Amino acid sequence: MKLNSRSALLLMLPATVLYALFVLYPAIESIQLSLTNARGLRGGSFVGLANYRALLHDPQVTAALKNTLIYTVFVVVVQNALGLAVAAWLYSHPKIRTIARTGMLLPAMMALVAVSYLWQFIYSPIGGPLNAILGGLGLQSLEQSWLGNPSTALASIAATYMWMYLGYTATIFLANYLAIPASVLEAASLDGATGWRRFKYIDWRLLAPSLTVNVTLSTIGSLRVFDLPFVMTNGGPGNSTQTLSYVIYTDSFQNFQFAYGTSIAVVLLVITIIASILVTTVLRRREVAA
Amino acid sequence: MSSVLTTPVRAGDGAKAPAPRNRPGSRRRALRSRISAAGLLLVTLVLVAPIILAIKVSLQSDADASSNPLGLPHHLDWANYSNAFQTMDYGRSVFNSVLITGCSALVVLLTGSLCAWPLARLSRAWTKIVYQFFVAGLTIPVFVLITPLYILMRNLHLLDSFASVILSEAAISLPFAVLFFTSFLRSVPAELEEAAAIDGAGPLRTYWHVVLPLLRPASATLIITLTLAIWNDLIIPLVMLSSDNKQTITLDVYNTIGTHSYSASQLLPTVLLGTAPLLVVFVILQRHIVAGISAGVGKD
Repeated sequence: MKLNSRSALLLMLPATVLYALFVLYPAIESIQLSLTNARGLRGGSFVGLANYRALLHDPQVTAALKNTLIYTVFVVVVQNALGLAVAAWLYSHPKIRTIARTGMLLPAMMALVAVSYLWQFIYSPIGGPLNAILGGLGLQSLEQSWLGNPSTALASIAATYMWMYLGYTATIFLANYLAIPASVLEAASLDGATGWRRFKYIDWRLLAPSLTVNVTLSTIGSLRVFDLPFVMTNGGPGNSTQTLSYVIYTDSFQNFQFAYGTSIAVVLLVITIIASILVTTVLRRREVAA
Repeated sequence: MSSVLTTPVRAGDGAKAPAPRNRPGSRRRALRSRISAAGLLLVTLVLVAPIILAIKVSLQSDADASSNPLGLPHHLDWANYSNAFQTMDYGRSVFNSVLITGCSALVVLLTGSLCAWPLARLSRAWTKIVYQFFVAGLTIPVFVLITPLYILMRNLHLLDSFASVILSEAAISLPFAVLFFTSFLRSVPAELEEAAAIDGAGPLRTYWHVVLPLLRPASATLIITLTLAIWNDLIIPLVMLSSDNKQTITLDVYNTIGTHSYSASQLLPTVLLGTAPLLVVFVILQRHIVAGISAGVGKD
């Protein structure tokens, strides 16, 4: 079937209209809205960059910005390192690979909301299982209110997120492992490259495509983290678990500061674009080099 | 393909075969491999443990759970589940989730594949521009769209309707679907479609009888990915829906727990009831879900 331009246009129309109306148009609108002083549904008047100037001095927003960036760097590095290690481990045990992967993927099938409540229970300071386990191991000194302590709250949320997606990340790395012709890894082993040496010089390079996918997914996913702090901590204690998405939601839909909330969203958009360009350029270049 | 997939197994046997069994080196290697396998199963168990623990505590009374947080329950309290079931409006919410997820996935599947076909087969300047527009959509966080989308839905008088959620979820999922289908179609030859043209079929007939069946494996993967994302999404239903009888199961879990101060015996059955439908689906469709997650990296 040779498609001509006219029929092509008609075939593409439904998706393009849907996408333009409910994604592109709101995206452009958000920039315009962020330059007004709209509160709630009453359209505001143009105020230029006033919202952006205000957010730079808003302690909640600066805390959210800092937390989001720390959280993202931490999750991207640790989750991918662990995921890669688990994938290599799964790869070397073909017989138990499927059952292990099934178990590890279970958390990723749950809604973030459900995971948040589950871990709120695990972390709970009174009779929570985590403290009970630490107590049982004779580590009473480590028992604490995990989500109520400003110095552990963000890390506890990050641990929950990584628990949820570790199997997911490992599954992607494992798929890449399985796509490498076994003869390549066999030949490397015969040449005396084993263990860490083989990983460093052979596996690490051949896994470049899955590294790109995983780093991109975890970067985008953790930059927009919302459900976990929303359910588990409400941004607290203090401002210790404020994230950009959380501040956008509360400013827009609890304080009805539509324009101000949206200006924070535009900041998140800019950060996301910069991060994905950075990740893509660095990692794609690596893929080509390998 | 099948030889590639079975090779790792053969490689494992081959490594053991050349050395006679009683050689100390090979025995040490076999032992190390067995310890490593046990370690892997232990890690898996640790990762599954929170879910098992939640199931256990969900069946305990609060008094039993606090005096006995890690041990086996003395008595199974099934009433916890019937209480949660009644507080939640469970049947209604699951029905709403199935409806919203199903309709969104269907819209994305049909419009996405219709759009991907010309993008994959027709190389013009303007098709490349449309393609880039969809690529751009991949990085836009939903939080950037949420307020303008809310205002738009209000102006269209769609707030608090299933349509507002279905249209939003579908549009947000479209970039991934279009790019996924396009790359899939580029990897298969156009001969079947050309044969259909010789038989005199028009574009829509060719799409329905040739292209859509051709896309079946990609569609299965896509539907699973979409189901996970849409079923579990909180923010769009939270912002768009306000009536209790329209909420999705994920929103129901949030509303039920968020508005009460819950003890473990009330909280965990609610969480697990909310999670159960997708966990069951996962166990049944596991192979497809793994293929969906690995799309673009592995061989599937």
